[in-house]
Amino acid sequence: MSFLVALQIGLGEIFAHKFRSFLSMLGVVLGVSSLIATMALTRGIEEGTRFFMQQVGGLEFVSIVPNEPSREMFEFANLSSGLTLRDAHSLRGSATLVSHISPEITLSMSVSCGDSGNAERRKARGILPDHFVIGMHGLAAGRWLVDLDVERGTRSAVIGHTVAVQLWPGTPAVDIVGRTILLDQTPFEVVGVLPLYEREEDARMRQLGKTPRPRRWDPFRQKNEAVLIPFSTMFHEFRSGAFPEDSMDSLKLDALSVRVGDLNHFRSALGQIRSVLDLSHRGVDDYDLETREDWFDRVEASVRAARLSGGLISAISLIVGGIGIMNIMLASISERIREFGIRLAVGARPRDIFWQILVESMLISFLGGLLGIVASLGLIEVLKMISPTENVPVLTADGIIFSVAFAIMAGLLSGLYPATKAAQLDPIKALRYD
Amino acid sequence: MSILEFEGVRKTYRVGDQEINALDGIDLCVEEGEFLAIIGPSGSGKSTLMHLLGCLDTPTEGRMAVCGKDLSRASADELARMRNREVGFVFQSFNLMPRLDVVSNIELPLIYSGVPARERRERAIEAARHVGLGDRLANRPTQLSGGQCQRVAIARALVNKPRIVFGDEPTGNLDSATGRNILKLFKELHASGKTIILVTHDPVIASQARRVIELRDGRIAREERS
Repeated sequence: MSFLVALQIGLGEIFAHKFRSFLSMLGVVLGVSSLIATMALTRGIEEGTRFFMQQVGGLEFVSIVPNEPSREMFEFANLSSGLTLRDAHSLRGSATLVSHISPEITLSMSVSCGDSGNAERRKARGILPDHFVIGMHGLAAGRWLVDLDVERGTRSAVIGHTVAVQLWPGTPAVDIVGRTILLDQTPFEVVGVLPLYEREEDARMRQLGKTPRPRRWDPFRQKNEAVLIPFSTMFHEFRSGAFPEDSMDSLKLDALSVRVGDLNHFRSALGQIRSVLDLSHRGVDDYDLETREDWFDRVEASVRAARLSGGLISAISLIVGGIGIMNIMLASISERIREFGIRLAVGARPRDIFWQILVESMLISFLGGLLGIVASLGLIEVLKMISPTENVPVLTADGIIFSVAFAIMAGLLSGLYPATKAAQLDPIKALRYD
Repeated sequence: MSILEFEGVRKTYRVGDQEINALDGIDLCVEEGEFLAIIGPSGSGKSTLMHLLGCLDTPTEGRMAVCGKDLSRASADELARMRNREVGFVFQSFNLMPRLDVVSNIELPLIYSGVPARERRERAIEAARHVGLGDRLANRPTQLSGGQCQRVAIARALVNKPRIVFGDEPTGNLDSATGRNILKLFKELHASGKTIILVTHDPVIASQARRVIELRDGRIAREERS
């Protein structure tokens, strides 16, 4: 008996008992739809996370910060000049795996614009143009700080979205470019405004016309509240007076941000940075490398856990659906013993009966899977409306294929026992059966 | 060469602790083209013999060959193949599929011999015409009379061109006029060269056969040729 004939017989059987077939499909429908929805949901979270990771600078971002030297090295701490611009120079010269380097000096300043008096204290940072790439910045309007700004020590500033809105509420970013901002009463020209960095969830809420609720910890806060000026300007205007004997090169940095060129060489890049810095610091471990690896690993682990638990629950419901099929197939074969007797009498082999039942139960689960896809579309819409998650569910083809394949597997497994039972029928007894 | 050969065939059933000898040493040869009737009271073993002859079962002991093929120890698949190709079965209770129409019922054996769909249909329609049901092709068994149902069953038995056709009380559920018509159909089949074997307890039907075997307690008690 060919597969096509078995399929035909199975379809005939399913349509002859529509309600019963639908009941046996129901478990699979629910299982498949929840599996697809779960996969779409976790996929949405994954994509949101990836987007978020990129926005905060990605894995390539490494921050070198000054640190207390360890106790063994404490007595030798004076041998090192600490984290300075010289380190930036030597990294640029020797650490080939590092693509961008930007030293940072942070200073708390009162920030105001000339027109209104209310000043707010914010952290201004002196940086080099490389910071644009390292921090994965964009621009809402204007331009970024360039080498010429650093060379000449211009009074130019790039400000974050929050700062711009606070100083000039309701003014579009384009009009803010060119205005004057006062940093500790020193006038600076705003040359660029950063876009608003936010989570996908907040973006969605804003689109819906709601105000995003403030977060206790906003990872984008530093970027949104940024006040960035050229490194040299920061030194000359605000720091040189404190220690007149300092040169710009020996000024202690607050941080040195670098970007690793190729993630595949991330470990070797860290090693390179360490060996360069160990040399220039004469072995004193007065610095620390902060990477985002651990953090990202944690995020990924939680996404994996969500996917696994959701998948597990859906898989269990699919298995329950399979048991439902088995139940109904068992009832159906004991109802059809005479039919199998007739088939055997006209020449069906036991394996033909076996295939007939197996194909039928796979067909039920496959049709259930198709209905499940339709149901999942609705389910996802509902989830989108009531979802407490931050991300839009993303429906993927492999999620659908996987779910339906899993459903057919469940149908196959649950059909095995009834099929074996039917194939073991004795033709004579089956013919006599009433 | 004989189309059916039985040598010392025994069939034993176990019912609880008891062993029942349904067939107790049957020696039987049937030549191709014979018209044989098997008679006997109920419990004489004629149904069991019928099942063996019809390749639905194998003997407990002894040798049995159908169409020259030794089936004494045949597997379920070998028996199925014989039922499919060499043997046609007509039952007292018709044994049609209630949900299938006449053509689909008749083509059932062809499904299991791997005949393509179009040819299946053609051959089924031809067989239906042969038994006089050319105008009932799309009807279901419930829409047919008893005689028509038995004609469908006969067409199904014939569709794969078997050499032997069995009838297990084929007229048992029919009124006498219809029964005569069905019997006439069997005689026509015999005339066209098929080997016919009928199991019956009706002496009128048995009298139509050239050879009558009477079973009693699992043995051949009497044999008559005319």
